[in-house]
Amino acid sequence: MRISRRDVLSGLSLLGLSAGLGGRRSALAATDDYRALVCVFLFGGNDGNNLIVPVDGRYADYAAARRQPTDGGLALPQDQLLPLTPASGSAQYGLHPDMPELQQLWNAGALGVLFNVGTLVAPTDKSSDAAGRVPRPQSLMSHQDQQNQWQTSIPDRPARSGWGGRIADRLPAASLPPLVSVAGNTLFAAGERVHPLAVPAAGAGSFGLTGFDSSTGSRSIRGVMDALRGLDLDNALVQSVAGETVAAFAASGALAPVLAGGSSSTEALFGPTPSSLGKQLLQVARIIEARSVLGATRQIFFVSLGGFDTHNDQLNRQSKLLADVSASLAAFYAATAQLGVASQVTAFTLSDFARTLQPASGGGSDHAWGNHQLVLGGAVRGRQTYGTFPTLALGGPDDFSSEGRWIPTTSTDAYAATLARWFGVSTGDLVSVLPNLGRFPTGDLGFLG
Amino acid sequence: MGSPAACYRDAFTPFLTQTAFFRNAISGPDQLRQRVAFALSQILVISGDEVRPNYAMAEYQKLLLRDAFGTYRQLIADVTLSPAMGRYLNMANNDKPNPLKGTAPNENYARELLQLFSIGLVQLHPDGWVATDATGAPVPTYDQDVVEGLAHVFTGWTYPLQPGATQRTHNPGYYVGPMIPVAANHDAGDKAVLGGVLIHAGQTPQADLAQALDAVAAHPNVGPFIGKQLIQHLVTANPSPAYVARISAVFADDGHGVRGNLGAVVRAILLDPEARGDVKADPSYGRVKDPVMLLTGAARALGVTTDGVYLASASAALAQPPYRSPSVFNFYPPDYALDSGLLSPASALLDSASVFTRANVLRRLLYAPPGPDATVSGATGTQVSLGDLAPFGGDPGALVDSASALFLHGTLSSTARSMILQAVNAQDATDVAGRVRAAAFLVLTSPGYQVER
Repeated sequence: MRISRRDVLSGLSLLGLSAGLGGRRSALAATDDYRALVCVFLFGGNDGNNLIVPVDGRYADYAAARRQPTDGGLALPQDQLLPLTPASGSAQYGLHPDMPELQQLWNAGALGVLFNVGTLVAPTDKSSDAAGRVPRPQSLMSHQDQQNQWQTSIPDRPARSGWGGRIADRLPAASLPPLVSVAGNTLFAAGERVHPLAVPAAGAGSFGLTGFDSSTGSRSIRGVMDALRGLDLDNALVQSVAGETVAAFAASGALAPVLAGGSSSTEALFGPTPSSLGKQLLQVARIIEARSVLGATRQIFFVSLGGFDTHNDQLNRQSKLLADVSASLAAFYAATAQLGVASQVTAFTLSDFARTLQPASGGGSDHAWGNHQLVLGGAVRGRQTYGTFPTLALGGPDDFSSEGRWIPTTSTDAYAATLARWFGVSTGDLVSVLPNLGRFPTGDLGFLG
Repeated sequence: MGSPAACYRDAFTPFLTQTAFFRNAISGPDQLRQRVAFALSQILVISGDEVRPNYAMAEYQKLLLRDAFGTYRQLIADVTLSPAMGRYLNMANNDKPNPLKGTAPNENYARELLQLFSIGLVQLHPDGWVATDATGAPVPTYDQDVVEGLAHVFTGWTYPLQPGATQRTHNPGYYVGPMIPVAANHDAGDKAVLGGVLIHAGQTPQADLAQALDAVAAHPNVGPFIGKQLIQHLVTANPSPAYVARISAVFADDGHGVRGNLGAVVRAILLDPEARGDVKADPSYGRVKDPVMLLTGAARALGVTTDGVYLASASAALAQPPYRSPSVFNFYPPDYALDSGLLSPASALLDSASVFTRANVLRRLLYAPPGPDATVSGATGTQVSLGDLAPFGGDPGALVDSASALFLHGTLSSTARSMILQAVNAQDATDVAGRVRAAAFLVLTSPGYQVER
């Protein structure tokens, strides 16, 4: 089934939202003002040390610390790394061998690599950290806390909103929430004002009620369901459930047809059996394709992939995960290109933390701190790396331990600010979105044009 | 015999553990034990995503059922040496530092034991409030050195010996009985662990382990940390500090000088004044039902008989398949908060997508419960007798009042009652079961029923 503009409009009109649609600049016009951010969270702590590996003389340092797989080590063979050749000169770094699609996108100039980004209270280095002159993020190396801090970019105190949500707080009101998670409730998408929408991944169920028909009995039950959402709300928890339910039903009319199977011209790009990540990104593509009829000009999406907490058997496990990331992100990039919005959509990775360079017993690695990240899109100044690559030495100048845990040299604030600025957040608003940004030397890492 | 897919499902996923769980949770004679063991399975988490053999998950489930009312010290000892946990958090075959190979002891179990299974990240007062330093910052309970010290303690254990197999220093995965020590793989040095306890060099793996677990179990955080989570799982998401303090006191001493008596703790939680009586009318009282509680509660009240198959699949659709959490951090964090700041752990699973899944799963259960699944050996499917509501199909007023009593402790307002009555009366009068289903569906999907009070 192809989704027609009329289907969506009729969904919106059920909500009483269609009245202003004709006058909305974005509704019928071309989408030249549309922009989207797509947060790809790699839950568990992706081992960045095997995502990006130096292929120059520093490979020897890498191999010496990571050790050979035959000894339970984690070193990837040098000749299997996929060279990341810059626009001029020879490759200094290689990509994980199972990410050929992203290597192609690097070569095409759509992929950039950020080195050693992390949660930071303020700029620091090994001596400042050791002397306690700069406090560390609260509960460093705890999954949940570091996941949260990557999403809030506030590592020195509790925060109940994420920077995605705070960006959306500054957008003009729209008929649909500008934040859409395809991975459930998430702190990243929680604003101080805006409440995100969650939608099911492709094939994971309907974004609406099933089993009802047009009979009197069926219609009556549906009508009373609507009424009951406004009754008996004497308890705050009940109110929260009612609020979530009201938001779900309000969005369902417009979005359910968009999210239904076969609605997008980009489906085939994701292959016959998309992975979990692919199914989430397909939903994002479907919504982007329907942006005009949905009246969306600015959207922020959240998708995720779990399983990166590779304390054992890492070589096998991370290979499968990164192969999925590469194929799924490439399919998504192709979808945005087919839709003519490649330069209006930027996808970027976040993850709990990096992992120790030194292998742990069992062929895995343990929790660490600063990590490498990927940014993908037509607006990305790709085929370049950004930031400072750490010295791969156990106990070396970037290691705050003796197992290879890098003190970040770029903050999540600067990373987020670069994305937010491109998305359209004004310089004046950046400090509201990222309250700690002023502590860092730059709010623009330069990876977006 | 089943298909290869069914054989794989039965042997290498927790499917059969899940179906057994739902059968027991709905009709087992030991309801409280089932409920507490399920709560423990969400605190001391392992997942079939990584521990593939179903029998390993079944053994772990039995462990939690057995220890649910025992002492915390016994529970944590059994969990630590459970081969399923050993597999999940990599204590099985965790070796002492190996300079030749350049490997360090695996920190996974050490870290999560402290953070999730016992004391948490920050020091707590007995009433659950976070202790802060002079600057107002929370005081951490441990640092990386403690994690590494414990990681060294937890070296030198391997899987139990499978009957008929030959003992090796690294036994292959086998999940019946506790893990066994291998002194040659155990770090023999000094180890600093929690609370300044120094474990001296040269001890056996068993002696090191006992000393370390003694230190963990004796930490003053355990009572408020574990006690508050049990309250949240069993009674209310936002217990008062006084309630937490009363439970911490019982944890510290059950009245007979025993610390960590979980049976006494559970009794105290359920008999506390804050678990009973007028307090339930407080506007922040209660807990959003996690999907499993939604399903089992509905099933019990509706007179469901089931082989557990549909409920297992429904729980997966609702993102809470028992014993198959996405990570050791459970299906949701205990401190998940609403926009208002109120804690509501299970609300992490209640979003605009799952709102529909909840309704659609309940609709299927009520209107079209699936019959036997041909791929499941001995399947009987799911049947719905409509339970105590069944007799009232011909009397809409009594039907709605009964549904209110059964599902909402009789709290349905007169306005809501009349709305539901209207829908019941709109159903075909000759289809009395259809009238019961309509009333049940509307109450079960109402915002009020999503909150346990």
